[in-house]
Amino acid sequence: MSSERHELLVVTVNHETVPIEERERYSLDETQVEALYKTLHDNSIIEESLILNTCNRFELYFKTNEAQNGKTIVFETLSSFYGIPLEELEAHAKTRGGQDAIKHLIEVSAGLRSQITGEAEIFGQVKNAYSKCQQFGGAGALINRMVQKGFQAAKLIRHSTPIGVGQINISNVAVDLSLKIFGSLDNTSALIIGTGEISEKTAKALRSRGAQDFGIASHSANRAESVAHDWGGKPHTIGALDSYLNNYDILISSTNAEEPLVTKALLDRLHPSRKNRPLFLIDLGLPRNVESTCQELDNVYLYNLDDLAKIAQDNLSDRQAAIHTSEKIASQKSDAIWQMLGKRGLVSCQQFENR
Amino acid sequence: MNLFGLEDREWIFLATVVFTVTTILGSYSTLKLHRKTGRPYTLGLISFGWILQTIGLYARGLQYGGCPLANRFELVQFLVWSAIVLYIFVGPAFRVSLLGMFTSGFASLLSIFSLGFESWDSPGREPIFGLSPWIEMHAALALFSYGVFGILALTSSMYLLQSRSLKQKKMGGLFPYMPSILELTHINLRLLVLGFCILSSSLAIGSVYWSQDIESVNTLKLGATIAVWLAYGILLLLRKRESLSYKQYSWACIIIFSIALLSLDAVDSSSTPVAGEASISIPSAHL
Repeated sequence: MSSERHELLVVTVNHETVPIEERERYSLDETQVEALYKTLHDNSIIEESLILNTCNRFELYFKTNEAQNGKTIVFETLSSFYGIPLEELEAHAKTRGGQDAIKHLIEVSAGLRSQITGEAEIFGQVKNAYSKCQQFGGAGALINRMVQKGFQAAKLIRHSTPIGVGQINISNVAVDLSLKIFGSLDNTSALIIGTGEISEKTAKALRSRGAQDFGIASHSANRAESVAHDWGGKPHTIGALDSYLNNYDILISSTNAEEPLVTKALLDRLHPSRKNRPLFLIDLGLPRNVESTCQELDNVYLYNLDDLAKIAQDNLSDRQAAIHTSEKIASQKSDAIWQMLGKRGLVSCQQFENR
Repeated sequence: MNLFGLEDREWIFLATVVFTVTTILGSYSTLKLHRKTGRPYTLGLISFGWILQTIGLYARGLQYGGCPLANRFELVQFLVWSAIVLYIFVGPAFRVSLLGMFTSGFASLLSIFSLGFESWDSPGREPIFGLSPWIEMHAALALFSYGVFGILALTSSMYLLQSRSLKQKKMGGLFPYMPSILELTHINLRLLVLGFCILSSSLAIGSVYWSQDIESVNTLKLGATIAVWLAYGILLLLRKRESLSYKQYSWACIIIFSIALLSLDAVDSSSTPVAGEASISIPSAHL
């Protein structure tokens, strides 16, 4: 379907169209968004508009009363607003018109068009953009109907397909597994051995999901104290591991020790006094910091870097496998919304019949 | 007995169909469509099946003028009915995803068995409780506790499935939709305490009458009942003292429930009426 002659169009600059160095030029703060709405308002050929401005995409949905050259005028407006030459803007931006614009909105809202397929944050960003659009007077009957129905379609996609199921980065996979073991992380405590980047990220992810009590263990007491001060937590030395390990539910280890720090013999010794409390061992070290036989113990769950990476990869594959089904739903729903808009006279009958 | 145009067994048959459909839909929705089986829809379907089953059991009860617990078919149906009561009225407090699907599976499996074996439903049976409503209550409570233990066996199976998936790092199937293993262990303990208290109350009531007429209960039934009660009591003690791992505890819950189900056979065979007389006949003066 050509996007040249449509009353409803979307202009998009995103990670699929240009690299990050170019996308940066289209990023707007709230004042600039308001100014762009005002500029668009002042243009008599634009009846309605919606600006979606995230770290990864700039999109302008608009309704024009000049189906013939509305696109050209909007490109000129944007070129002048951003101070980017028209030819460059045309090279960076893609347009989609009519039903395709609606399908695009659904796909973006459902996370199908996100750099990390299926991420959920975009839905909130689109909702926020719609709220700003109403606040700055961009929304009319067409945008309102399109966005509200589009949201319903996006929710359907997220609920009926695995597009957003499962975590796809290692830290979040570890947090998800912790939730599957402990339910809530509010009363769990985590011990971090070693101070690598993944350990820090995992600790942050655990903290963001409610974990409060942290211990930081290092070979040197000074290092432990310094990191514990920065990250928040109790400092420990690795040498005395058996004296405090039982105080923790989750252990994240990422040292480059040659010998395993946590052995089955150690856990066997500590196990009776744990009184069946589960222990989640996340071994991010290379060579491995936790003896693999620890997994044989009841209530002990051991995951190493490869295990977590495999789960993340499987989740990503599941999400990607769901893209086709999701696009099919987006296509069906955009068709239904387009028909509905036509019947309500929100898009011209001629355009509606010419599809 | 005919009620609202259908025989009691036909009502129970319809209920079984509803339980089976709920299980199939729930499994399909979870495993194939990857949707969380919505509690309202599962609860609605199971409640509908339970109403049908209640009508069937009520019709059967009218025939006896008391609780329909006169043969193996009725014992099993009452147990299923109790488990579903627990799921409908107490289950939402547990907030366990998929418990509805597991309960409907359990209900349909036992119901299909009880309907399949014609001999389990001997039509010529008389009420087994004589004139005493207390004995009837004793039996109803005992079977209700079996319903609780049935749900406990289900949540224990869920624990074992979840723990196995975590151990073997298999994140597919039912894993994403089931509760955490720690939540399941808390629920399992609450169910064990509840079931044990109900069974103890039942046995306390029964023992009052048994002490007055020792011959009224045969040794097999007495032995089986005490064995089940003791087994759950010891299990509760071990669980409270954390002497068993959660895995051992879950297996124990499943095994003891299976044995408890077999003990129903002892209850049933011990209460076979002789020449139309009630097997337990308590004089009304004792009430």
